[in-house]
Amino acid sequence: MNIYHPLLTTVTEMVDETPDTRTLRLEFQDDAVREGFDFKAGQFGEYSVFGAGESTFCIASSPTREGYIECSFKAIGKVTTALREVNLGDTVGFRGPYGNWFPVDEWKGKDVVFIAGGIGLAPVRCVIWNVLDRRDEFGDVTIVYGARSVEDLVYKRELEEWASRSDVKTVTTVDPGGETKDWSGEIGYVTPVVEKTAPKADNAVAVLCGPPVVVKLTLPVLEELGFADDAIYTTLENRMKCGLGKCGRCNIGPVYVCKDGPVFTAAQMKKLPPEF
Amino acid sequence: MSERFFISETDLRGLTADLLDGGTEVIAPVATDICQSPSAVAATACTLDGSKVEIDYRQLTSADDLDLSRGLPQLSLKEFFLPEHEALCHWRQKGTTVQVFEVPTEFAPRVVLAAKPCDAAALAVVDKVMNWDYEDELWNGRRAATTVINLACQVIDDSCFCTAVGAAPDDVKGADGLLTPVEGGYVYEPATDKGRALVEDFAARFSADVPADTIGGQADDERAAARARVADNLEIDADSVRDWIEANFEDPLLTHLAMRCNGCGACTGVCPTCHCFDIVDEQEGVGHGTRRRLWDTCQAPTFTLHASGHNPRDTQHVRYRQRINHKFSIYPLRFGEVLCTGCGRCTRVCHAGQDLVEILEAIDIAARRPRDAEPAEAAS
Repeated sequence: MNIYHPLLTTVTEMVDETPDTRTLRLEFQDDAVREGFDFKAGQFGEYSVFGAGESTFCIASSPTREGYIECSFKAIGKVTTALREVNLGDTVGFRGPYGNWFPVDEWKGKDVVFIAGGIGLAPVRCVIWNVLDRRDEFGDVTIVYGARSVEDLVYKRELEEWASRSDVKTVTTVDPGGETKDWSGEIGYVTPVVEKTAPKADNAVAVLCGPPVVVKLTLPVLEELGFADDAIYTTLENRMKCGLGKCGRCNIGPVYVCKDGPVFTAAQMKKLPPEF
Repeated sequence: MSERFFISETDLRGLTADLLDGGTEVIAPVATDICQSPSAVAATACTLDGSKVEIDYRQLTSADDLDLSRGLPQLSLKEFFLPEHEALCHWRQKGTTVQVFEVPTEFAPRVVLAAKPCDAAALAVVDKVMNWDYEDELWNGRRAATTVINLACQVIDDSCFCTAVGAAPDDVKGADGLLTPVEGGYVYEPATDKGRALVEDFAARFSADVPADTIGGQADDERAAARARVADNLEIDADSVRDWIEANFEDPLLTHLAMRCNGCGACTGVCPTCHCFDIVDEQEGVGHGTRRRLWDTCQAPTFTLHASGHNPRDTQHVRYRQRINHKFSIYPLRFGEVLCTGCGRCTRVCHAGQDLVEILEAIDIAARRPRDAEPAEAAS
């Protein structure tokens, strides 16, 4: 099989997270692939609907949940619109896993702070479950998540599950005006809510992912709280075709998001030329 | 000194005929008088005497078509290794079931005769990215199946600059052997096992008696003269150029040098080293189709356009900078090789007048300038 040859998966679960975001659970059709497939939190893949083409997103499920992978996407382009049309039992192509990962093993014994905005929770969710499924190995776990409105919060069932756990501090927020009458979470943008939550930076790492404006505004807040640049992780995305370092379009200056990323520390991000 | 053989003009054509008779595909420069083809009768390119010759690498049908006397073919050898479009897999869908069919990654043996050294060198350069951790079997399969025999350049023009980027008009990089024209024929120097196999398989066509005056004489003199002729066009310090681009990403010089570019992407099409591609699905009928890769160009706004509407390279000068940066800084930093072999096609084909010789000269001057001096002026 050449490196562009897709593996086949079956859609076994579909969840509409928001009016425009859907999560698909995909199980590999080939027994040997299903048994042997392995990836690390933060890696991505090329998902395809035959006839529409391939699209790049992270694997949103945790490597600790074996036998399937999940992806969450907004129906916004040609392939994601086609992905939205697939039904339970349909076949979806997959190539991967590609790229680097969050060094979760290096975080043993440390506090972990997760900060996400909007659909940015998808790659972070993968790491959250990875950490929660190995809960004993880490210190305090804090999750700060925000979206434009209550309707736009993704993984609502999981947010409830995390909020109900005593070993996780979960703070959920919606932008002012995005709240409903019975909303009991925070109201405000992600950045001030992080400031207010004030997770302690001592022996801690932060995972930050969201729209560029959330990342840009939250980085200085984390620095203010005392997080070092190499203790702050994020995951970037750029348009990709191959995912393998060959098609030539995802680079930010000399850095290839597909091969050097998608996971970068704030220290690495600061060295990137302004091409993102 | 490397092994040398002599092959006469007649025997080279005979060798070509032998290969074709044996069923081996032969790719070589072929000259076509486009004014003789009905489609070109009205072409303004045809001169008053009704003759305009174009040279292309073609799959030969007859040894008579082989043309060894002319300059650079219009397009490089790229399309024979990375076709303009090619299948990556085929699929067939019935209900919820999809079957995916592999495409072959092994290819029948073939020979490229009289390749231009810049075009063969480009293959060796692109080998690097095609084997960056993941091996591209389609590229590698075609590379393995092909014997590439260079012909030392005799026709050099003002746009040639191979010697400035580490190649030469008599280079064997990326090739399996080199032919150098001498009186009555060619001196042949095999460079690899595939190149030596050609001599072994067609021993009767080659002679170990290389005419004495060609060794250290005619052949070498002409090769040295060709190198000097190219070096006259451009001399740069490629390492300084690499480092300057890396350190001066936002320098106005790079914007200035891009001003004439209108983003047509012709340069990337004719470039022997431009390898960026797109992957698309082609629905060929109800329930079946082909996933293909196609040449793409970094000069198109859609190349990097996100589905959200965000585009990291949203202006033409930024896209032009990417092309220069990729070739002369990013690729050398990654793979130790310049992603350019100095063929000059981009300069010849650009209808806006973007001239890479001039552009590299301007960057080279900036790179040599002391840091505290005035910012570099763009080339005029």
